[in-house]
Amino acid sequence: MASMKLVWRNLMRHPLRSVLTILSLTVAIFLICGLRTLITTLNAGVANADNRRLAVMSSTGLFVELPMKYQAQIDRLDAVEQTTKFQWFGGYYRSPKNFFAQFAIDPATLFSMYPECQVPPEQQQTFLKNRVSCIVGKGLAADYGWKVGDTVPIIGALHPHPENKAWEFYVAGVYRSDAPNFDNRTLFFHWDYYEKTLESGGVTPGVGVFSIRVKPGTDVPQVIADVENLFKDSEQLVSCETEAEFQRQFVTMFGNIPLFVGWIGGGVVLAILLACVNTMLMSMREQTTDIGILKSIGFSDRSMFGLLIAQSLFLCTLGGALGLLLARGTQPMVSNWFAATFPGYAITNGTYLFASAVTLGLGIAAGVMPAMQARRLRCVDALRGMD
Amino acid sequence: MSQAMIRVQAVTKSYRRGGETLVVLDKLNLQMEEGRFYALMGPSGSGKTTLLNLIGGLDQPDAGELYVSGENLSDLSKGELANWRAANVGFVFQGFNLIPVLSAFENVELPLKLTPLSRKERREHAEHALKLVGLEDRMHHRPKQLSGGQEQRVAIARAVASDPKVILADEPTGDLDRKSAEQVLELLVRLNREFKKTILMVTHDPHAAAHAQSIVHLDKGQLGSIVDNQPMALGPK
Ligand SMILES: Nc1ncnc2c1ncn2[C@@H]1O[C@H](COP(=O)(O)OP(=O)(O)OP(=O)(O)O)[C@@H](O)[C@H]1O
Ligand SMILES: [Mg+2]
Repeated sequence: MASMKLVWRNLMRHPLRSVLTILSLTVAIFLICGLRTLITTLNAGVANADNRRLAVMSSTGLFVELPMKYQAQIDRLDAVEQTTKFQWFGGYYRSPKNFFAQFAIDPATLFSMYPECQVPPEQQQTFLKNRVSCIVGKGLAADYGWKVGDTVPIIGALHPHPENKAWEFYVAGVYRSDAPNFDNRTLFFHWDYYEKTLESGGVTPGVGVFSIRVKPGTDVPQVIADVENLFKDSEQLVSCETEAEFQRQFVTMFGNIPLFVGWIGGGVVLAILLACVNTMLMSMREQTTDIGILKSIGFSDRSMFGLLIAQSLFLCTLGGALGLLLARGTQPMVSNWFAATFPGYAITNGTYLFASAVTLGLGIAAGVMPAMQARRLRCVDALRGMD
Repeated sequence: MSQAMIRVQAVTKSYRRGGETLVVLDKLNLQMEEGRFYALMGPSGSGKTTLLNLIGGLDQPDAGELYVSGENLSDLSKGELANWRAANVGFVFQGFNLIPVLSAFENVELPLKLTPLSRKERREHAEHALKLVGLEDRMHHRPKQLSGGQEQRVAIARAVASDPKVILADEPTGDLDRKSAEQVLELLVRLNREFKKTILMVTHDPHAAAHAQSIVHLDKGQLGSIVDNQPMALGPK
């Protein structure tokens, strides 16, 4: 390579053009990080799913309730070790924009079925004893500043309180989970309290999802078939899936998001590549005479290739590095925005590596064509002003 | 008797344009002695630049041999030719000559980057060359901040920075006013006299050619006369 100085000065020939190129790379790499994180976050739930846990829901859809009595029937199956249930509450705290997940659950079975949900023992005891209490994820507690001992009013938008007031839950504990398939921003409260309160208003509650744990060594497809058969003549048909499949369906509820996101990412990369190639070709044209002069002085063809590739790599790595920093710097903020709808947003090391590789790839791909031109350029032609 | 620094033997060079082949140099023979200053004259299109480029190893002939500074250029690969150029020839062109994004000093330093000299030595050599052309006070100017004559003198400083034996100049005064041209010519004369450089200078200007020791005429790819100048116009030796 001729010299780093020459690389830098050539980029500074048109500072605005270089800065704009770098900034567009910054934005592109930032987007790539974000998009890939969407996919990895979604897939983390699938990847970490417990393969002994099954979910049972209405075959019509996730938001159609099943009769409570189904639980006892499922429990009677031989392969079933334990069951528990979840009902989506769909409320909010003070204002509809404070949205997060709340579920009515069975406290007696939740913790044994979901060991990833960790609560200090004494808090767990309080929760089990107090039927109007709840536990909240540590992320949620941090967001709203809730502490153990607080009472949290939740407006039951989907399931209004019969007395037309907010549901009140005593915060018995704060749980944490290190597993990506169990998020830290949910409020769990007693099924019993939920059921009795609704019944006092003349409403019979239903269940969104039954969760099953099968005995070790069970033939899972067989259990799935058995569960589905169990209710094939009942008022509500059910569909039973492994937790991984359930998570995956959750992921693809609105179409094939990972594929869609992948296409967007590919589009971003292609667009930025074309922009960089264009910049580099323009820059090569401006340097044609210079390259002729350098070659006449005795600089090799290879070093001229290097001169152009270095410029391209410099632009791309600078832009890419800024993009990575931006992604890292804004991660807590983005994670917060998505907290309720898209919990667990965290950029993985794999994503940083991936984005770095994309950056390098862009630098080489954008530079290789002009660099080949520079290498091939005959200095007699360059000095005659022909190309 | 001086050695032949440049020997052109039966060199043929043609260009293809469209379907036609244009023979620019036709079995040309020419010999130039070490330490002499030659002017190469001839009508436009007669092949002067082509010949200069061949001698400088920037281009290859279709046939024939070129011996320059003891090397048969056809023996060298492209890469070796580049290295050979760096060590043996300095170029001065008519127009575009300097890298616009580098200062005068940095331009002069360029050929030295291809040598094993240390940074400090490069600096000394480059400063020395700039002093030689009288531009040590313009070291940090960019080419745009220099006059045409100054630019050309920087180009000469660069051509001699790595101390090559041969200097090839293609119409170095073509774009210059009389006074600047005179400075450039005097500089070339001095490089020839004091530093024994072998110089080949293409020019259309008989006055410029008068500074050389010999004038070579080229016409339609053929060598015309080689006339030795009287040392009259050059002042005391
Ligand atoms: N790369 C090329 N392709 C085709 N023809 C060329 C090429 N380079 C030079 N020529 C032709 O070769 C001939 C000789 O060109 P050359 O530049 O050597 O002439 P010259 O004597 O230097 O002319 P001038 O005095 O105008 O500089 C010209 O007719 C020119 O058009
Ligand atoms: Mg010419």
